[in-house]
Amino acid sequence: MPGNVLLTELNWEGEEMALITVRFYSLWRAYLGTDSTTLQADDVQDALTQLETKFGSRLREKLETAGVHLNGKIQDYSLILLNGITLRNLKSTALKEEDVLHIFPPAIGG
Amino acid sequence: MGSKTADKDVRRYIAESAESRLAPDGKAYLVVSLKTTSSISSSQGVPAKEVEVTALKQGIIPCRYLRNIGTIGLDGQIKLLQSTVAVVGVGGLGSNIIELLARQGMGHLIIIDDDRFTEQNLNRQVMSTEGNLGEYKVIAAAKRVKEINSATTVSTFLERLTKENTQSLLTGARVVIDGLDNLSSRLAVEQACRQLAIPYIYASIAGFNGQLMTIFPGDVGLSSLYGSFSDTAPEQGIETRIGNPPATAAMIAALQVQEVVKIITGVGTPIRNQILLVDARECAIDRIELGR
Repeated sequence: MPGNVLLTELNWEGEEMALITVRFYSLWRAYLGTDSTTLQADDVQDALTQLETKFGSRLREKLETAGVHLNGKIQDYSLILLNGITLRNLKSTALKEEDVLHIFPPAIGG
Repeated sequence: MGSKTADKDVRRYIAESAESRLAPDGKAYLVVSLKTTSSISSSQGVPAKEVEVTALKQGIIPCRYLRNIGTIGLDGQIKLLQSTVAVVGVGGLGSNIIELLARQGMGHLIIIDDDRFTEQNLNRQVMSTEGNLGEYKVIAAAKRVKEINSATTVSTFLERLTKENTQSLLTGARVVIDGLDNLSSRLAVEQACRQLAIPYIYASIAGFNGQLMTIFPGDVGLSSLYGSFSDTAPEQGIETRIGNPPATAAMIAALQVQEVVKIITGVGTPIRNQILLVDARECAIDRIELGR
């Protein structure tokens, strides 16, 4: 997709930042209108900040239209895995090339 | 079974009553009717499931399982009839699970829940009716199983699962299947299953979406989603905002029952060390490989 082609970006030390893929699932996929995006970031927090800037207002708008009122950031209402490991268990949040972030809301009902 | 003579009699009665039937593929099978297995069970004082197992071991299919055999074989049906499955929680998932396990021909069910039916259960909990609101869910579930399959025996426990009682309630189960609605009970069940060395089929739903993971002892599990320190994990999810519609509960419960069937019969591959995400709204199914 042309919209997903990014020019290589450099961090403040002049190193190339990692090009990673972010995959959305479940309700986030429907509300964000896409199942994935790519971005360049040094670490997970940087990636989440970029996601919030790009998709945060859209997500809240969709949720409000559906009668759901969540005021926080996407990450406040998401399970987030880096390469299949929850951020809660990660020792390092540094990103490397081709990393994948998986993001979806917790579903706990039965 | 009471004695070798009784066993021989049961085998003889079954063989004498067997009839030939054509399956959809045109192949002839020997079958025995429900009326016959029930009659042999009462006249010989032998549990219905033992009559059915005896028939299957002779290559004679209880008619009620005729459409099961093509997927799991005679041996698979015997294994199911000889197995115990524990269903924890009789909500949207649990009630659908119990209905399907009874029809599949599970030998014994342990059913655990401490709640009664209320009106908001009517949308998805298949054992709730306008007439049984206020009834304990385990009582309604046991009645329903008996109506569907008299060969499936049931033990009910009117209890809320805690860290203290879970392991003893689940003892004896070959597989534990999740019909719960909160994270802390799920974590208690997962821990107990690891200690008992039995597989746990986790699932949960919200809106049009559901997720499922079969956790064998030693596999990655719920900590791969919620972290190793469960006190920081959410107790409830987005379902508190977007609800639990009937078809989502039925859809995910059906996948859980398929996992039970696969584990017990050895047919197919359970969903292990990955989370299956099912999105009915977008018609998408994804799997994420999980790490520690």
